[in-house]
Amino acid sequence: MDALMAFLTVFITPKLLLLSALGTFAGVYVGAIPGLSVTMAVSILISFTFSWDVYPAIALMIGIYMGGVYGGSRTAILLNIPGAPSAIATALDGYPMAKRGEAGEAIGVTTVMSFFGGLVGIAVLALAAPFISDFALKFQPRDYMLLAVLGILLVGSLSSGSLAKGVFAGAFGLVIGAVGLDPLTFTERFTFGFEALTGGISFIAVMIGMFGVSEALLQLHTVSAPVIRQKISRIVPSFSVIKKYLPLSLQTSSIGVIIGALPGTGGDIAALLAYDHAKRVTKNPEREFGDGAMEGLVAPETANNAAVGGAFIPMTTLGIPGDAVTAIMIGALFIHGLNPGPMLMIEKPDMFWFIVGSLVAANCFMLLFGLTGLRLFTKIVEMPKSVLFPLIMLLSVVGAYAVKNAITDVYWMLGFGVFGYFMRLYGYPLGPVILGVILSRLLDDNWRRAIISEREDLGRFFEGVVSSPLSLTLFVAVVLIFLSQIPFRATFRRLTRRRSNVKEG
Amino acid sequence: MKRFMLSAAAALALVSTGAVAEEYPTKEIKGVIQWGAGGSTDTVMRSVTPHAEKALGGTIVMQNMTGGVGAIALNFVARGKADGYTLLMGAENPLLYKIMGLGKKDYTDFVPIVLLARGTPVLVARADAPYDDYAGMMAYIKKNPGALRMGATGPGGLPSVVTAMMTTVEGKLDVIAVPFDGDGPALTALQGGAIDVMPAVLGAAIEGIRAGKMKALAVFDVKPQPYLPKTPVITSFNKKYESFLPWGPFFGVFAPKGTPADVVAKLSAAYAEGIKHPDFVKLMEGRGFTIMGTSGKEAQEFLTKWQQNTAWLLHDAGLAKKSPEEFGIARPAK
Repeated sequence: MDALMAFLTVFITPKLLLLSALGTFAGVYVGAIPGLSVTMAVSILISFTFSWDVYPAIALMIGIYMGGVYGGSRTAILLNIPGAPSAIATALDGYPMAKRGEAGEAIGVTTVMSFFGGLVGIAVLALAAPFISDFALKFQPRDYMLLAVLGILLVGSLSSGSLAKGVFAGAFGLVIGAVGLDPLTFTERFTFGFEALTGGISFIAVMIGMFGVSEALLQLHTVSAPVIRQKISRIVPSFSVIKKYLPLSLQTSSIGVIIGALPGTGGDIAALLAYDHAKRVTKNPEREFGDGAMEGLVAPETANNAAVGGAFIPMTTLGIPGDAVTAIMIGALFIHGLNPGPMLMIEKPDMFWFIVGSLVAANCFMLLFGLTGLRLFTKIVEMPKSVLFPLIMLLSVVGAYAVKNAITDVYWMLGFGVFGYFMRLYGYPLGPVILGVILSRLLDDNWRRAIISEREDLGRFFEGVVSSPLSLTLFVAVVLIFLSQIPFRATFRRLTRRRSNVKEG
Repeated sequence: MKRFMLSAAAALALVSTGAVAEEYPTKEIKGVIQWGAGGSTDTVMRSVTPHAEKALGGTIVMQNMTGGVGAIALNFVARGKADGYTLLMGAENPLLYKIMGLGKKDYTDFVPIVLLARGTPVLVARADAPYDDYAGMMAYIKKNPGALRMGATGPGGLPSVVTAMMTTVEGKLDVIAVPFDGDGPALTALQGGAIDVMPAVLGAAIEGIRAGKMKALAVFDVKPQPYLPKTPVITSFNKKYESFLPWGPFFGVFAPKGTPADVVAKLSAAYAEGIKHPDFVKLMEGRGFTIMGTSGKEAQEFLTKWQQNTAWLLHDAGLAKKSPEEFGIARPAK
């Protein structure tokens, strides 16, 4: 009964409900602007809500979080510029839809599916949090490493066209991610003696440059071309459409919850893995992936919103952050006199149910704000390009600076923007670069941790992999996906043909 | 006439500098936090500063500047104007930058405004480890050489200092040191069984200990902790630890060297008021930190002593990259 009351608190207190709505609304816009991140917004809120009670502060933060994760998809669809790392996969199929004037439909489906994914995440949090957090804790360094390898294999999914170019882009991303002080030994890597490089290259700056600036530069080629009018008559998808994607969205939401609950990974990796999963299980998409497949929108958007609920699982049950945002919220709870840890759920179950309630409220507001106010958003893309793209450049500069208040990041952002522009011109995909940067540390740190734990003995390492069911499953998945990506038949045919050609010649 | 103008200008200059200190702060003060949002330095700074702001009658805008194990923030503030409008909010580790080869600057380039609180290290093990105290762990290590996995957080971190103490007192330990990106991730790994033992600051481990998710083997202090009354102190296992203790990480607010003394005094007074606030006291107690509230000459002495002890300890254990002697850090008197 107390649990129910705590759950309903946010709905029956007008002030809390208003804050939740306000947070979600702000979150959608913060998320949509590349460079303004949810992490940043929530850390600013810590100082801002310092003197408040804990409930209003949490309601506002959760609103921003939920809205922000969703908001990233907006600009990804409309402008091909993901507002947040977790929306990178959304751009792949969302933008082609917008180019056809179907942005309204794309955003409609994205919103409903984000809502659905969010709901799945919250349901798992409410019903199975202790169970999932126990499972998440079982992930050893070697499992994180295998997960990262699994992620690296997504290069295949993210590179349309030449796989070789995709592999190059991915490797480049891995190197960028390695720049700076190595977090395990504090040795400088690829810094060439520059102090500015010891902090590493901000991954957000790379993302803003590669997607934002390069897109703006690319659009200069067609600056006088007429803008595409967007059809916004059909925003709310019909029930049959939702029903069609329900099985897929359940699968991708599950991926989202688990990846979100793992303390070492978050929504960005979840969305990319989900996209890859969708590509694998969808046999006959109406449109090809990369050309506006609806499945390519549904998968990452359900997964990244499900990851929100997932991230709260270790936070509420163990006081361990599931991602960067929940890490800040743990700090906020400390400041408000609570001691987040394994005892929080036992001693203060109200707090847990309040968080669940706030998540549900924020999720509903997200649906509401997502489906309304669309007209205004689509107007943005209908602006003349000569106005829109300078604006994007401006936002990119502001966003890159805001990440760490460092002017160096602005230079990086611009540099990567120009570089990304040329990569695009020469047919190099940008997705794998970002993938590489995201996975670089996960892969490198955990590989070293895993091998150090086994006294640097490869034999012992594989013994560990084989003897743990979890590691073995991941290992087998890596091997199978790797094999499935090698075009055996085509290679064989090409080889035999070449041989027969030789005979004939 | 000329002379009059000159003296008037000089008088004006005098008046205006006097006025600066008296009216300080006339604009927003920037507080640069050395570590990321949500970390313990961040939590401590964000919870004490609003109370200090009230006493000061000004605003302190805090921002996180991460990277380079905190060296980027330190160098940023050190390069800035010494006018009291840019402050560094940091922890103990810059005192080890020089000997660890991480930077050329440390707190000797700063004036301490206040040392807020210090933490106590505690040795924790995963809940199902086959030993319950420090002695049991030592016996286990002797019996199973090279089997125990101990968490670490990179050179100069708390685990490296505790490990240095252990090597100095007990001789070389045959364990595997597994590095993590901070004590939070390491304690997570401890609960997942990826490591067996972890030296951590009490505040980070206290909730896990209370819930039985990990067990405390020993408190690295000379007297028992009020938060962990049942856990024996390390000196009860081996008296030799006494020469290094009490030792612990700490948090402090610093201004670049050359900041006017009255401005520093004003800030010190504000923070001295801030740490008295019951909310802050409660937060620190809940996390197992001891409030210090040290400033002025006393703080300077604390920093010097801390640096001498720790730098030479790490050097003697073979963990330092450069000798403390190179930087004029004197060997502590026995």
